Amino acid sequence: MASMGKLQLFLNNRRTLPSMPVSVKHDYPSEADETLVKWAQQGDTEAFEQLVFRHRDKIYARGLMMMRNEDQAMEYSQEAWVKAWQRLVQFQGESSFATWVTRIVINLCLDQLRRQKRVRTESIEAMDEESGGVERQLPATETNPTAGLEQDELRRRIDEAMGKLTDAHRTVVVLHEFEGLEYKEIAQRVGISIGTVMSRLFYARRRLAFLLQSLKRERSE
Amino acid sequence: MKNTEQLLDLQAYVDGELTEERRRQVEAALPADLDAQELVTGLRQLGGLIRAHEPVATVPASREFYWSQIRRQIEAEQPKAPAASAALGWLRWLIPAMGVAAVAVVVSTRPVPREITLAGGGDVTDVDVSSTVFRSESDGVTVHWIQ
Repeated sequence: MASMGKLQLFLNNRRTLPSMPVSVKHDYPSEADETLVKWAQQGDTEAFEQLVFRHRDKIYARGLMMMRNEDQAMEYSQEAWVKAWQRLVQFQGESSFATWVTRIVINLCLDQLRRQKRVRTESIEAMDEESGGVERQLPATETNPTAGLEQDELRRRIDEAMGKLTDAHRTVVVLHEFEGLEYKEIAQRVGISIGTVMSRLFYARRRLAFLLQSLKRERSE
Repeated sequence: MKNTEQLLDLQAYVDGELTEERRRQVEAALPADLDAQELVTGLRQLGGLIRAHEPVATVPASREFYWSQIRRQIEAEQPKAPAASAALGWLRWLIPAMGVAAVAVVVSTRPVPREITLAGGGDVTDVDVSSTVFRSESDGVTVHWIQ
């Protein structure tokens, strides 16, 4: 894809074509999201394509984090972009554009997880069994359980640990830690009580702490 | 050892979800509670670690391929203009109707035989008669319409 836009430059002959507009080429890659959104809202698909190109990895990564499946992440991330285009006029800039599209892909993933009954039907008992009971607190935390790991390695290990959580646990972690949602908002989006959000978050964090400490033990052995 | 409510309360404290009054109570109790301090520290470290190392991923497809699929979906889901749909609805009926009318015109202006042979072998002449023949090869049917 050429870096410059494809808007036609009408170099008109003012004597013969006085009314033909003179438009300028848009340098889409150098434009801010806000400008691209404005153009896209007016029907400029190239501006929208630039937005897709700019944020596609983030949207895909969020889908992958939620679904833990590359094909589904691909499908829902693309569907999120389609919905974003269709609802573009509704975007008023209350959040960043990337955040707005991220919320769309999260909603699509949540819908799918609900359909697959992967977020609501996991019983507290099942979670207790999986995580060992809420009476156990977080494992004794070291100052830095992952000290010495390279950033990329650490990122990979956190992703690996997230993958070992149940969908229900992982969902609340994603919504709270990465999306910055409050308990109440998470409860509304997932369709569970605030109390369940709190307990799931606690279990998930304890499990993550355990997994991250395990990886350090593995590494030192 | 703390009960569930106390643990979740401490977590809510770390997450900034407590009411102002409850937050003050927790803060007042923390200095004397080593278990609680440890839990609060652990939760904060874990949260900081996770947020600072949010897993990343790259779309496993080229820009062109990824975008082409999105564009195709956008184009496919463009709502049809109601006026256009209505017009198409009329056309759906109008086109066959026009075809029937054209056939009728051709048939009515077609020269017809003035003489026919009856089944009994006799001829009928000078009778004001017209006939129309319809033959369907696919159905293997021939219809003679005699007036």
